[in-house]
Amino acid sequence: MQAAVAIPVAPAASVVGKTAISLKRLKKTFEDDEGNVVEVIRDITLDIHDGEFISIVGPSGCGKTTMFNIIANLLEPTSGEIVLRKARPRGKKGSPIGYMLQRDLLFPWRTILDNVTLGLELAGVPKAERYDKGRAYLSRYGLGDFANAYPHSLSGGMRQRAALIRTLITDPDIILLDEPFSALDYQTRLVLEDEIVSILREFGKTVVLITHDIGEAIAMSDRIAVMTQRPTMVKTVYDVGLSREYGSCLKARTDARYQALFDAIWADLDIQLGGK
Amino acid sequence: MSAVTSLDTPVPRKKTVSERKRRARQVLLQDNLARALIVFLGFVLWQVGVNQKFIDPFLMGEPRGIALEAWRMIETGQLLTDVVATVQATITGFLGGSILGSLCGLALWYARRLARILDPFFIALNSLPKIALAPMIIIWFGSGIFSKIALAFIATFVVSLLTAYQGSHQIDANLVNMMRSLGATKRQIFAKLVIPATMPWIISAFRLNIGFALIAEVGGEFIASEVGLGHLIFVNGNLFNLNAVWVGVLALMIVAACLYLFVTRIEKRLFAWAKH
Repeated sequence: MQAAVAIPVAPAASVVGKTAISLKRLKKTFEDDEGNVVEVIRDITLDIHDGEFISIVGPSGCGKTTMFNIIANLLEPTSGEIVLRKARPRGKKGSPIGYMLQRDLLFPWRTILDNVTLGLELAGVPKAERYDKGRAYLSRYGLGDFANAYPHSLSGGMRQRAALIRTLITDPDIILLDEPFSALDYQTRLVLEDEIVSILREFGKTVVLITHDIGEAIAMSDRIAVMTQRPTMVKTVYDVGLSREYGSCLKARTDARYQALFDAIWADLDIQLGGK
Repeated sequence: MSAVTSLDTPVPRKKTVSERKRRARQVLLQDNLARALIVFLGFVLWQVGVNQKFIDPFLMGEPRGIALEAWRMIETGQLLTDVVATVQATITGFLGGSILGSLCGLALWYARRLARILDPFFIALNSLPKIALAPMIIIWFGSGIFSKIALAFIATFVVSLLTAYQGSHQIDANLVNMMRSLGATKRQIFAKLVIPATMPWIISAFRLNIGFALIAEVGGEFIASEVGLGHLIFVNGNLFNLNAVWVGVLALMIVAACLYLFVTRIEKRLFAWAKH
């Protein structure tokens, strides 16, 4: 009975429905050393709504990194296209898609303040102005005391927070997260999940999380797109919205629907150990 | 009661830090005393061996003779002239070669194709013992200071170029992509990522180069020269004046150690962010 409740087909009411970005029939093939064509991604068609938090979950080796690179505009798809619905304001520099990886990518030779204001510096914002903005962001997210520290003196969780601020400060329309927590210990991870979801929600960002962690996806997302094995296609899209309902990822994990969704997604992934 | 008092006593944190520093200095002093003792004992044993006719002073030199020879050379000012000549040529060639080499190596980051084409030439030049070029260099530049500078320059230039070039090509592609997603131009990536990220490589090449420059310079002096420590050693070696040779060798050791210390000091100053 509860399993049936857990998977509503209609979009969650809390999510505003306008499309932010459309992935249309994305396909990616590579050529291996012997010249054979390897199909990594067969067809990804997905509409991502404005302001939603969507997770892409797939079995390991399903081409998540390839997918990330295509959405982040680092790699051209073999065919298909990505359509951004929102017109980018004139004179705005940088990609409309910001991202955050497993590794924080902070420059060890820069202070935290200089790291988080990197995007503003590149856009030519005067020093005083970008420092003011950087300090405001840092103190708002609990890193105020570390503005002049170097990255090596911060914990992994703090560094990831700094990396998120660096991404947010240039105001991208869409934020792409690629397993941003997998290098952190479990406790830090749970805390940071909550933090990041609430920060991103506060900014009204559209977020795409690429992960293999089913629990994390359920706890954080409004929707989850489950991928097939290689060659990758979209298998099922689930509406979740638990963290939005509870206002906390940690509480979302206690809901009865959490387990039901977990089981359903696990079944979808069709993971078998020990070869084919 | 005593527990309460001890709780009330503020922990003297500053003091413990300075105490630790003082302790470290004490250990260093003790180590240095031990080192001085080893050198002193070595000389004493040597002298005793000579006095007891175990060691032939004509073939090996003797500490008392070395001291007398050194004193004579200091008095006449010859030692100072030789040291200055060697140090001058070494440092000039070292700075010129290392700085220009590093700049060229960094510049090759811009020209990937050119770098790829030139790569085997760099490798060939790098594996060549630079002293093999000395006869030619001396024909071109004469037996004065210019040929020595040129030799030190060549010995260091190739090392710095290769190191800077390799360093700049080992930068994590994720960092470059991240800069790009923040809207960085190629020039900005070069200035704000490539140069600082390659800096540790460049400085480590400097540390190697100070030794290479000295080898090339002294080698050049062996072949043709009018002054310098190499000249002093070579001429006195031909005269079988082993005591004077020892003066030259010891002076060269001290010069080399001083130059090395100087470069490492600069390195430490530059990379405060890397210390743990």
